[in-house]
Amino acid sequence: MKTIIIFTLVLGCFQSTFSQNTQTFGKGNIKGVTVNASSNASKGIKTLMSTGYIPNPKASSRFLSQATLGPKLSEILSLQNQGIEPWLDEQFAMNPNFNLQNYVQNMHQSMVDSLNLQNPAGNYTLNNVFIDDWAFDVAWFQANMVSMDKLRWRVSLALSEIFVTSRISAFENNPYALASYYDMLNKNAFGNYRSLIDSVTFHPAMAVYLTYMNNHATDTLAISASNQTKKKVFPDENYAREIMQLFSIGLFELNNNGTEKKDISGKSIPTYDNDDIGNLAKVFTGLSWSHSRYLGDNSNVNDWSYTKRLKFFPVDSSEKYTRWWANPNTWRIVNGHDPGPKTFLNQTIVARPVADGQLDIRDALDIIFNHPNVGPFMAKRLIQHLVSSNPSSEFIDRIATVFNDNGIGVRGDLKAVVRAILLDPEARDCCAEKENTAYGHLREPFLRYMNLINGLGLTNQNGVYRNVMVDLYDRIEQKPLNSPSVFNFYQPGYVPGGPLQAAGKVGPEFQMLNSLSFSNYMNALHKWIISNDPIQYRSIFNNEFYKSDQEPKFDISADYILAKDNRIKEFLDKYNLILAQGRIKAENMSIIQNVLVSMPITFDVNGVPDPTSADRRLRMGIFLIMIAPDYLINK
Amino acid sequence: MNRRNFIKNVGCGAMGSTTLLSSLTSLGALNGLTNFNKNAPGEDYKAIVCILFSGGIDSFNMLMPTGTTVNGDNGFSEYLALRTDLAVAQTPSSFLALNNPQCSSFRGQNCAYSAFGVHPQMSGIRDLFNEGKLAFMANIGTLIEPILTPNEYENSLKKIPLGIYSHSDQIMQWQTSVPQSRDALGVGGRMADILNANNSNNGISMNISLAGKNVFQRGQSVSEYSISDNVDPNNVGLQSFPSWWGNQGLLQEMRTNAIDSLVGQTYSNLLQKTYSATAKESMASFEIIKEALKRVPTISTTFPNTSLAGDLAAITKVMSVRQQLGTKRQIFFVNYGGWDMHDGLLGGLNGKLPVVSQAMKAFYDSTVELGISENVTTFTISDFARTLTSNGNGSDHAWGGNNMIMGGAVNGGRIFGAYPKMILNSSNSRNISYRGNFIPTVSTDEMYAEIALWYGVSPSDLCYVLPNLRNFYSYAVNNYPIGFMNFNQSPISTTNHPLDCLNY
Repeated sequence: MKTIIIFTLVLGCFQSTFSQNTQTFGKGNIKGVTVNASSNASKGIKTLMSTGYIPNPKASSRFLSQATLGPKLSEILSLQNQGIEPWLDEQFAMNPNFNLQNYVQNMHQSMVDSLNLQNPAGNYTLNNVFIDDWAFDVAWFQANMVSMDKLRWRVSLALSEIFVTSRISAFENNPYALASYYDMLNKNAFGNYRSLIDSVTFHPAMAVYLTYMNNHATDTLAISASNQTKKKVFPDENYAREIMQLFSIGLFELNNNGTEKKDISGKSIPTYDNDDIGNLAKVFTGLSWSHSRYLGDNSNVNDWSYTKRLKFFPVDSSEKYTRWWANPNTWRIVNGHDPGPKTFLNQTIVARPVADGQLDIRDALDIIFNHPNVGPFMAKRLIQHLVSSNPSSEFIDRIATVFNDNGIGVRGDLKAVVRAILLDPEARDCCAEKENTAYGHLREPFLRYMNLINGLGLTNQNGVYRNVMVDLYDRIEQKPLNSPSVFNFYQPGYVPGGPLQAAGKVGPEFQMLNSLSFSNYMNALHKWIISNDPIQYRSIFNNEFYKSDQEPKFDISADYILAKDNRIKEFLDKYNLILAQGRIKAENMSIIQNVLVSMPITFDVNGVPDPTSADRRLRMGIFLIMIAPDYLINK
Repeated sequence: MNRRNFIKNVGCGAMGSTTLLSSLTSLGALNGLTNFNKNAPGEDYKAIVCILFSGGIDSFNMLMPTGTTVNGDNGFSEYLALRTDLAVAQTPSSFLALNNPQCSSFRGQNCAYSAFGVHPQMSGIRDLFNEGKLAFMANIGTLIEPILTPNEYENSLKKIPLGIYSHSDQIMQWQTSVPQSRDALGVGGRMADILNANNSNNGISMNISLAGKNVFQRGQSVSEYSISDNVDPNNVGLQSFPSWWGNQGLLQEMRTNAIDSLVGQTYSNLLQKTYSATAKESMASFEIIKEALKRVPTISTTFPNTSLAGDLAAITKVMSVRQQLGTKRQIFFVNYGGWDMHDGLLGGLNGKLPVVSQAMKAFYDSTVELGISENVTTFTISDFARTLTSNGNGSDHAWGGNNMIMGGAVNGGRIFGAYPKMILNSSNSRNISYRGNFIPTVSTDEMYAEIALWYGVSPSDLCYVLPNLRNFYSYAVNNYPIGFMNFNQSPISTTNHPLDCLNY
């Protein structure tokens, strides 16, 4: 009897799962599961044994909602045939093929050429024609409309919110700085973490953002022979602090599963103190622009200065240039890079000649890279961005282990980490939410926008788009490289009040949710879908011929036939699948359906719906889908 | 009847007077009516306004010593020698002098100097100070318990706040005043938990934010309501359907009802629950605030065209309809960021401090215009102060710093706390680093306790609002935590609330 009851419960579980047409994977119980196997019969059993994934439509959409910036229907269907692992292999094999900096420069050049055509006497060049930071957004959007390496763009967006730099800074109007930094993230997205932090550290955008550009060694010597007052200048501590707190190890020592280690009195153990910061700050001294003549040189900085790797200056020889007229014996030549040993994180970089000081930076990045916190730290952040705000400690442990060693002895292999995250049972398993009521994450506002753009298949004839995304940012307060601070648009440990707080869980993206942003989002949706104005076009030079094709609208006319009362459910199911991975529950679908069927509609003699009224019904439907809580939480 | 229907009904009933008021406004015939929004004699209204300077303001370049007497008050010379290329001026006469600031000692620490001035770009602040409407707090910061000597800090003989010098921790602790915890509620939120019952209409939170979600305003039962600085009834809630769609009214109602239903469903997933709770509250609030904002009078105080002034002007407008909102207690939160000046410090301060000074002055003036200057207390907070020494062109993260408290009920014209010595040798019992980082003398707890007592939190409820306060202060008649508030018009509340003391 007991057995039968259990069996019934199990069956009941499958039935209820099934009624929502959701697949259960890898639970060791393969009873009652249907598998859409494609090419050969072995794939089905591989799926069930959790060795391979051939998803059903909802699982396919769900995977793509984690691995891309939002699926198209065609991609959902194609992934079903291809299977998840082959898709991943294909994605990892693609090189970054869209260079944002080149795109910005081409746009810039076309501005220059056009202006010269208009006014040949103007002598316009790249150097005297201003190009606004939104050129970066145009390039970014174009890339995402045409690039096939969807996974890379998803991961680089996550990286841009971890290794944060932002145009809310000294380079606010420089699209080259933004494009170059983002290209660097794209390049490193599937590379090694050690290379990534090297590239981040030596990127001028980061050096300006976290103020170690021209960072100077400790200087407590007399100001000059004639003025014996001692200088009191110390290295800037900004980058030393943030690279450890935000980019690598965090504030407290972690176990491999992401939980904080405790000392004997049960307290968390700080990873570093202010002395570590002071010492690491000495490491990041002596870096300046690639074209600088001396440490401290800020002359001739232009847009392109932000695209070239920093140069190291062991010595501050600035007076050779700033007091070139004086007797060289009176030049004050001091260390640019701090000499002496530097101890931090319980390790010491031994003293070496300042001329070799750049090796200090290499050693410091090695020390950071090899700190045991980096695995769990990066694992948790990437999981939070791609899958779920509150991963289990087992999930973090599994991913951190891959970070520590990708299986062939390499530490920091981000490709292996991303693959492991997306294939982890906790990411793939539909039923994780049954054990974890805080499963999933709130879709961040910018992702909702990209979901809509992709989900409705925005397109045009010639494949060129011009979307400056200025209004979008004003409304939803988010777009790439526009964070208000180095702490990103929201912080990974943010705890919203209410049930999540009571359960001791975090909800990072909730930091952006309030009564104002809630109405702003609805009104942004209104603009994009109800008013059918998803793209913001701007002229790039005066009197430019308006290229309407570059500002496409959503065309949903193919679905008009579904606007009929008796087919409206098909329409809603379709967009529930594409936008919400089929997660909008039946009650909510009826609420939306009831609104749509009460909107007036007329038909021609053949029973074809009137386009205008059909269009309105469908737009209202999409609008409401994207406000439903079961859309907004991606789980 | 659910809340929405209730509001709709009230809204209809109130329609007549709204229409009358708005047409009078547009005719400019408001002289008699503005008094309607002025403080009625005996009106029980109090608001506190928290201005966050996010990023960590270099507040030892906001309030500076000006003495140059060798072997006497030689504060300026010491300041100049310590701050070197970060000194705001080479002569003390460049600073705007504060009249007899009576800098006091605190908890055994003496104020190091007697003559002070403010940054040359802060004439509005200087005027408010000299008129007795603004006070400074010197060397205030996050503390769990008093730390009297560098030794107590260096050898961890006293509890040290988590993550000192870390932006994220310190900005949070200034808002929670619980530096031993990373998941405490905010001070403003806990005050609201205690005092929310005073408000007759709870449709709109008493905690209104111009800076979105924030820790300061988060309580157990109260969370913030966020508005934009564009305080306009047409700027609240959902946008209308395009006119060419026809049936706008019906569509809007259907849409509103559908959204209400979608967010009103029961969800088991905690993230969905959290999202729908915010959405539900927001939907319910839109109409209340829309109706109230239709009655904002013309305000003649001129606010500069800056983000901070815009936010403060928005607060003035919201306070002007406090009666329509049915609120006797309000807490506002504003953020004016960009202070993390590791670089370009002097130019940065020259750009931002005049914005602060002009905006705060205009805001004070607007409360005078509304007749509520004694009912509104404004204070500033920031992550931390910055290192006294230079990193070349800027300063780094430090700890204790200086802040401002403004309002008609403030014992202004004084510097409270104890301004520390601008010397880093062992004669300075506050300094703990070669960079010039000071242990705070005054705790955030003591500042908040003084404000809370003025605001109407009873002495016995203080332990809910400020869990660590007992380490610094216990209430006795006429013994106030610091002394910067004037309690003549605000007797200490004897109304206690059944909320247990909090422990972290």
